[in-house]
Amino acid sequence: MTTTNRFLNRLLLLVVGLVLLVVGGATAVGVLIPDARDAVSGAVDGAGSAVSSSLSGAPWVAWAAAAGCLLLIAVLVWFALRQGRGRTGTLLRVGAGSASQGATPAGGDLIVDAKVASDLLSDALSRDPSIVALDVTAFRVRRQNVLRITAHARRGASPVAVRESIDRAVGEWDALLGRQTPVVIQIVSGLRSRVASTARVA
Amino acid sequence: MSTPALYRRLVRRETHSSRAGAAIAVAVVLALLVAWAGTELVLAALGRPALLVAPADAAGSLSGAVAAPTALLVAIGAVVAVIGVVLVVAALKPARRGRRGSRRDRTAAVVDDRVIAASLARAAAFAGDVDPEQVHVAVGRRRASVVVTRSSGRAADVGAIRAAVEAELAGYDFTPGLRASVRLTENGTVGA
Repeated sequence: MTTTNRFLNRLLLLVVGLVLLVVGGATAVGVLIPDARDAVSGAVDGAGSAVSSSLSGAPWVAWAAAAGCLLLIAVLVWFALRQGRGRTGTLLRVGAGSASQGATPAGGDLIVDAKVASDLLSDALSRDPSIVALDVTAFRVRRQNVLRITAHARRGASPVAVRESIDRAVGEWDALLGRQTPVVIQIVSGLRSRVASTARVA
Repeated sequence: MSTPALYRRLVRRETHSSRAGAAIAVAVVLALLVAWAGTELVLAALGRPALLVAPADAAGSLSGAVAAPTALLVAIGAVVAVIGVVLVVAALKPARRGRRGSRRDRTAAVVDDRVIAASLARAAAFAGDVDPEQVHVAVGRRRASVVVTRSSGRAADVGAIRAAVEAELAGYDFTPGLRASVRLTENGTVGA
C-alpha cells in the first residue's frame, strides 16, 4: 500500500549483488591462475604510487572525491528514508467549489478523517466473534485515498465469513459517507489471534 | 486509475514483499563504507593522521594483498561472491509472502495462508470428531495437505473429513486456488 519504489529496491540489491559476485569471483578464480595473478600484481604496484602522487600533487582530487562521497551518502539516506511512506490521516476531502457527485458542502471544505472510518468500522465489527481485532488505516495510492482494513481473524474462523462480514460493514459505511472510496481488506493471523481463544463453532 | 486496475496493483503489492529490509540494510552498509572513505580522504587532504588507513597506504597495500596466501584470497573471494549471489537471488525472486488475494466489485481482500490453514483445520476437526490439535495443515502455493491423527480406539471417517475440507475450499474465491489432500496417520493418539 505504501509508495515504496519496489523496482528501485530490487535494482539496488541486483547491482550491489552483481558487483560483489564479479569482484569476489574474480578474486577467487584469478588467484588460482598464475598469469592473471602476475598481471594484477604488476598493475597494482603502479596504482599505489599513482594514488599517493595524485593526492599530494593535486589536493583538489581528494576534496572532489570527498564531495562525491557526501553526495552518494545523501542519495543512500534519501533512499532508505523514503521507504514505507504513503500513509495519510485524511480519507476524504471535498472542496467548496467541486460540484461533483451532487452533495456539495455550501460554505467551505469538508475533510473526513480516516479515524472516523476506523472507529465506525471497529464498532460495527466488534460484536463479530470471528474477528479478534481490527486496524484501519488510509493510504494515498495513485492520487486516491484507499482504506486498508486489517482484520485479525480468530483461529479457525473461515476467511470467507470474515470477508463477508467486513463487506457488509463497508456497505453500511458507504451509505453513511455518501460515496465510495477503494477498500482493501487484509485478513491475517498474528499474535493477537494466537492469544485469543479458538473458534468453537463453524 | 480505475478501481479494478488499482485493486490488481494493491493485491499484488500486499501479496509480495517489497524487499525494503534488505535494500535498507545494503544502503546503510554502503553509506557507512562511503562515509569512512570520505572521512579518510578529507583527513589526508588536511594532512591529519588517518582513522584506520590513509588512501595512499590503502592503494599501496593492495600489492601486498595480491601476494597473500592463495587459500586466504580464494576464501575471501568466495565469501564475497556468495554474498553477491544471495543479493542477486533476493533481487530476482518474486518474494511471495504466503498470502492470496481476491477482488470483488466493492472491495479487494488479501488472506494470510495461516488463516486458511486454521480454518481448514477447524473444518477437518469438526468432520472427523477430533480435537483441532490433532489436525496438521500445511498450505503450499497450490496444495493444502491435511493430516489428521485419529484418537486411539476410535474410527475417523476420511471421506467425511475430505468432504468437509473440500466444501470449505469450495467457498473460497482466492487466487491462486487450493487443492486439498487429506490423510490419516497410521497411529492414533491417546488421551484426546
